[in-house]
Formats: sequence, C-alpha cells, structure tokens
Amino acid sequence: MASISTPIERAPASRGLAGRPDVNRRRMARLGWGFSAPALIIVIAVTIFPIVYSVVLSLSNVTVSGNGITLGGATGSNYVQVVKNSTWQYALGFTIIYTIITVLVELVLGTLIALVLQRLVAGRGWMMALLLIPWSMITVINAELWQYIYEGTYGVAGALLGLHDILGNPLQAIIGLMIADIWKTTPFVAIIVLAGLVMLPGDIYEAAEVDGSSGWSTFWRITVPLLRPTLAIAVLFRVLQAFGLFDLPFVMTNGGPGTSTTSLAILGYKAIFQNLDFGTGAAVATTTALLVLIGCLISLRGFKVQVGKEGM
Amino acid sequence: MGARTRRGWRKVINGVNFSAFVVVLFIGLPLYWLIISSFKTPPALGNSPPQYWPNPWSGANYAQAFNQYDFGQYFINSVIVTIVATALVLIFGTLAGYALGRLPMRGKFTLMVTLLIISLFPEIALIAPLYTLLKDLGWLNSYQALIIPYTAFNLPFAIWILRNYMLGIPKEMEETARVDGAGPLRTVWSVILPMALPGVFTAGIFCFTACWTEFLMALTFNINLKTIPVGVATFGTALEVPYGTIFAASVVAVVPIGILAFIFRKNIISGLTSGAVKG
Repeated sequence: MASISTPIERAPASRGLAGRPDVNRRRMARLGWGFSAPALIIVIAVTIFPIVYSVVLSLSNVTVSGNGITLGGATGSNYVQVVKNSTWQYALGFTIIYTIITVLVELVLGTLIALVLQRLVAGRGWMMALLLIPWSMITVINAELWQYIYEGTYGVAGALLGLHDILGNPLQAIIGLMIADIWKTTPFVAIIVLAGLVMLPGDIYEAAEVDGSSGWSTFWRITVPLLRPTLAIAVLFRVLQAFGLFDLPFVMTNGGPGTSTTSLAILGYKAIFQNLDFGTGAAVATTTALLVLIGCLISLRGFKVQVGKEGM
Repeated sequence: MGARTRRGWRKVINGVNFSAFVVVLFIGLPLYWLIISSFKTPPALGNSPPQYWPNPWSGANYAQAFNQYDFGQYFINSVIVTIVATALVLIFGTLAGYALGRLPMRGKFTLMVTLLIISLFPEIALIAPLYTLLKDLGWLNSYQALIIPYTAFNLPFAIWILRNYMLGIPKEMEETARVDGAGPLRTVWSVILPMALPGVFTAGIFCFTACWTEFLMALTFNINLKTIPVGVATFGTALEVPYGTIFAASVVAVVPIGILAFIFRKNIISGLTSGAVKG
C-alpha cells in the first residue's frame, strides 16, 4: 500500500538509530495495531454486526411473534413493497428536497456569518460562545421551542405574522421545520467555515490587493476555491445529518399533518417500532443508508475532494 | 467637534458590526424566547398576545420539572452516559489516532476509509438490530445500552480529528522521548497528548454534544432510564404539552453545554484549524 512510507519510519532509518530498521518498523506496526485495537473492536462490534444483520433482515421474510422474530426464506419482496409504496416515495422526495434546501441555505448563511466573524474586531469570543449554544442544543428542545413559537392560539409567530395554523398546513409546516433546522445548524457551518478561513494564507490576499482585485472578485476567485475542502466537509456532515432527519419532525409534527413531514428515518422508525414490520423497516433503513452513501459521494465529487488523499 | 463624533460613530456602526448585530439577533431571539418563557407563570404561557417580558416572574416551572417530573434523575442519567462515553472516545480515539497518524501500519488507508464509511451510516439503519441485540443481552434500560453505542458511533470522527492533528506534531519530540527510554504508552501520555490537546478538546466537545443531544437510541433502548432528550419529549400528556416545564428543563440542560462553550470558545477553532479541516 501507498501508506508504507510515513515520516516516522523514515526517520530512524536515515539516522541509523536502530541498526535494523525492518525489525523496528515491524515492532512499531505491531504497536500501532495494539493501540488501534480497542477502538476498532468496539466500532466493529457495534456497527458491522447491525449493518450485516439489517441487510439480512431486509432480504428475508420476517415474522414477529411474542418470543422474538424469526427469519423465513430469502426474498426481495421487502424492497419491492417499499419502493412501490407511495408514502416511501413521498418520504424520499421530502427528505431529498429538505436536505438540499436546508444545506444550501445553511452553507450560504454560515459562510456569511464566518466572514463577518473573521472581520469582527471586538467580541469574537463571545460570538463564538453564542454560536455554540444553538448547535449544541438538544434537538428535542429546539423542536419544542419552535412548536411553541408556531403554536396556533398563543404562539408568537401568530401574534407577529398573523399565521395561526403553521403546523397544520403542510407547506407552512415544512418551511417551519426548515427554519428551526437552519437556526440550529447554521452556527455549526459557520464555525467550520471560520476554521477554514483562519487557515487561508494571508499573502495571497495582499497580492490580490496589489493587483487591484475588488472584494467581490477576491471572494469568488480566491476565497471560495481555497475554501473548497472546508466547504466539502461542512456539506458532507450536513448532508449526512439532514438525510437522517428524525428528532425534529418526530417531536414537532410527528410526521404530519398527514404524512407531509415524514422523513425516511421517521418512516423506518414507525415501520419497525409501531407496526413491528421488521423486514420493511430494515429495507427502508438499508435504502436510506445506500442513498446517504451515494449522496455523500456525489457531494464530495462536486467539491472535487478525494478522501484521504492528503497526508496519507 | 460634531464631525469628530460622527466619525467616531462611523467606526462603531460599520458594515461588519451591523452584520454581527443581525447575527446576534438571529441566534439570540429564539434563545431569549426560550429563557423568558421558562420564567412565565403557567397560565401566562397561554396568553394571547404573548407576554414579551414575564409578568410576574415565576420559578413554578422549575419546581414542576424537578418535583412533578423526575428531571433531576434524567439529568444525572445524561451526565453519566455522556461523560463515560466521551472519556472512552477520547482514550481509545487518542491511541488509535496516534497509531494511524504516526505509526507505520499496513492497510492504514483502507482502515481510515472504512471508518469514514461506518460513520456515514444513518442511525436508523442500525437501530433495530442493536435493539434486538441489547434485548437478548438483557441490557435494555441500562447505562451501557447507551454508553457502548455512543462510544462506537463517535469514535470514527474523533479518530479522524485526532489523527489529522497528530500528523502536524514534529516527529523529533517522540524520538527524544524514545532515546530517553520512555515506553510507547508513556510517550503518548507525556509527549504526544500535551501537544495534541487542542485536537482532543475539539473531539471532546463534538462527542460530548453528540451524546448529550442524542434522541433516537435513547428513546428506543432506554425508555425506563430516560436521558434529558427523552425526558423532555415525554413530558405532559397527549392532550397537553406543559411548555413551561419543558423550557425550564431546557434552560437547565443548556447550562453544562453553555459552560463548556464558554470555557472552550477559543479552543474550538484552533482544534479544528489543525484538525478536521486539513484532511
């Protein structure tokens, strides 16, 4: 593998510290596996088994009885049933559109906030602390807070905007969810982007200024391209989270009104734990996981980032 | 004189400060609403138009959260689960991050990508099999039912941050330690760890937040050993949502994170600048 040459093993060989670099390297490699073992064991035990089990479930005839679940023969019917189901199709469309819109808005707003913070002379530490609060707030609490704001009779949105049935109206409920999400998550994007901005080399900006580049074109021609890996990471994280959307609609709307805010995760959860339909639930879960993987690959592609290429 | 004051004003009221003010409003107003609502009397919470300032101020919601509901216990449960999981993630993550960042291991690249893919898996895909597994072990409604999955789910990201941070530490440091005869664990503890602290802080904050706010697994595995998110979500009945109690509990739940955020507000960026974003 390309990873054999790392700085650490080159050093003793070149200095001749240990007479036999090969033995030394093998010892270090063993040490590396020893150090990684606890982490790897716990990650594999908790995730690989469920992933495999979930795929097996999704491909089986599952019957649930009082003393657990039994697997029948292999079948693709769970997937067929899921894909043909109009609720699933709606949930898929809703989740995709929700993800695209919230991530785009958060990216734009987050970048703007990061640019402001970068230029802010006084009070930057306080702003950081303020930004950390919504991001680290329990999503359930965020959901209850906005539910109270949107409440029909005594909500502040009703008093100020005259909207008295936000969570009873499908379109308004969706927009309401998005606003709550954007409020909570834009600070996260801003923090990540600010970290990227701080790292940009200052001399490029001086050169641009000497060349008479305007602020706007400096931003598009220098800042955005240099920031691309940072933006990619922010997008990757957000796409992942948004695609697994669960807590917010579960508490705020319970997927309603009707099924208008039913995300894929809510659909999967209800199939498994309310209808006890483990096969379908597993099929919903597995397709969601696959779509997440594809979505992440696409967004990384879009940002032209190759995972793990640097520093490997 | 007049001109000078005007110029002085212009220094304060410029585009940057104005935008910062807008940001503060955008983030602060909903927080303001949360906090003042927790201090309204229960009947005043239902006023229309709403009270924009509590009149009178009341601690009834706080008393309710701790007396009528078992919020104190939920809080303790959350603290135990979050602190133990975060500690495990940081210990295992530092060791693995060190190994993957600085030791010559075969297949490192494959390992890192596998970890990344695992961390991409949505929780919902793993919840049913984990539930069955925990049920068979008799571990539902126990601390380990959350501690172990939280540790596993947060490790991949922590390893990425820590590994990237460790790549930036000069290699002479540990060679000196080795020459001085320090064993590998000791080298990590007394040489690498102090230099990697900003990365450890950042990984710790991310992990702490993720565990503190996690809802789906806590709801599914531990309905009788509630953490704060599950407790808050199940306050009240189907007919009545006691917003006052919920907000009082919420304000209390935000406090630990608020303290952490305040203490580490400068470390977050420095931990990220040499960490996650580089890879």
